[in-house]
Amino acid sequence: MIHALAKPVLNRAVLVRSILAAVTLAAPLATAGAALVPGPAHAAGASDDEAERLARWKEIQKSIFGDKTITATDSLVKVDAPVRAMDASLVPITLTMPEKDRVAAVHLIIDDNPSPYAAHIAFGPGADAGEIKLRVRVNNYTNIHAVVETRDGQLFETTKFVKASGGCSAPMGMSDEEAMKGMGDMKLKFAEAQPGRPVEATLMIRHPNFSGMQMNQITRDYTPARYINKIAITRGDKTVLTLDGDISISSNPVINFGLQPGGQGPIKVVASDNQNGRWEHSFTAPSATN
Amino acid sequence: MRRRLLRIAAAGTALLLLAAAGPADSPVNVPEPDGIWTGPQRGYTPATLSGATVIDIDALDALIARDRPVLLDVSLADRRPAGLPADRPWLPAHRSVPGAVWMANAGAAPLDPAHEALFLKRVADLTGGDKGRAVVAFCHPECWGSWNAAKRLVLQGYTRVHWFPEGIEGWQERHPTTVIPEDSAWTALANGEAQR
Repeated sequence: MIHALAKPVLNRAVLVRSILAAVTLAAPLATAGAALVPGPAHAAGASDDEAERLARWKEIQKSIFGDKTITATDSLVKVDAPVRAMDASLVPITLTMPEKDRVAAVHLIIDDNPSPYAAHIAFGPGADAGEIKLRVRVNNYTNIHAVVETRDGQLFETTKFVKASGGCSAPMGMSDEEAMKGMGDMKLKFAEAQPGRPVEATLMIRHPNFSGMQMNQITRDYTPARYINKIAITRGDKTVLTLDGDISISSNPVINFGLQPGGQGPIKVVASDNQNGRWEHSFTAPSATN
Repeated sequence: MRRRLLRIAAAGTALLLLAAAGPADSPVNVPEPDGIWTGPQRGYTPATLSGATVIDIDALDALIARDRPVLLDVSLADRRPAGLPADRPWLPAHRSVPGAVWMANAGAAPLDPAHEALFLKRVADLTGGDKGRAVVAFCHPECWGSWNAAKRLVLQGYTRVHWFPEGIEGWQERHPTTVIPEDSAWTALANGEAQR
């Protein structure tokens, strides 16, 4: 009986969802309208806001990189993300690194997340470091920083402001048991290979990546943090990349990366989480003929 | 985020809605509970609050300009997840409406007597004992905490209680937020479990 009756409620929720989506789409217009109204009181507030955000970045920077100099860059790394994310627990991020041969690693930092250090990705000789895509949780309107580490050990940063909130604590909408089903299952998909060109690969891992900030609404207990903290990808005897992850990575992680052309051997992915889960899968990469 | 909130709200409050679906027959048409809401704290909230005024961002802007209301933020605090390695930076920063007083989870229900008493005492302090002073309670969208906090004040005889359901998200759509510390008296009493 509960089932039969619950169904229409969910269907109505779908309706409400589309209404809210429409409202969300309309909101930027309203905001733009409000911005046209002169407001000296808020103008002062805005610069305070910027100063506060910069101070926070400096604090995070110090905690991760110590006193090392980080230079701003427009060319070494670029962050792409929707300015306004529809789902704060699934915000797609693209890091583009055009001078890919200079890049040894990239750090992704979501400034206003309580655990800001989202990911560190170190590239090996099997990688094409031109582009990385992943999906993250965003807790609040925030700057997202990408810091590139060059092969000669220098650091360069760029930033992008993203409007999303509530992503870290958003429940998954299913029981924890349901969310953990098939944990560690993986898929690796490849874009069509072209001779002499890097191969774009998409790794999908089934894992709830519980942030530890998600509350069960009935028991009011927090689901303990259980997240993938390391993904190591190799091809043959060459390292492709190693990703150190955090609770800011979205559930069921999806990572796009590039493979050096001409690589040999199967691709091995080893993922481990903070509760000693370890999963290993091997995949055959497509080979471009001629 | 919306989608997830709605999904959990739909699941969490399905039974309640079935029992008390209003004539509009919409899950958003949540009836006011009789007193404080003790069900899941995250989910659809009513459009009304008897004894208080429900305000949107325009009304809040006008109220702030005119009456300098006491702004009460009752959002939950981010707690360091168990199992997060010690070397990960954990730097929670609570962004809110500038000038707001933050008593984390003060809208919880049930709320232990010590916290309920402190909440009422702090509001009495902040209003200078004037129950006619304008007060605004807020947290996030689909958060019962601010509804409950406002209701608590209505039940105590405050006459100009406002509930701002759009919360911090509604504010940051239009204005800058600022990092605010938790109210120090509230922090001094808070000991985690007691608030739940």
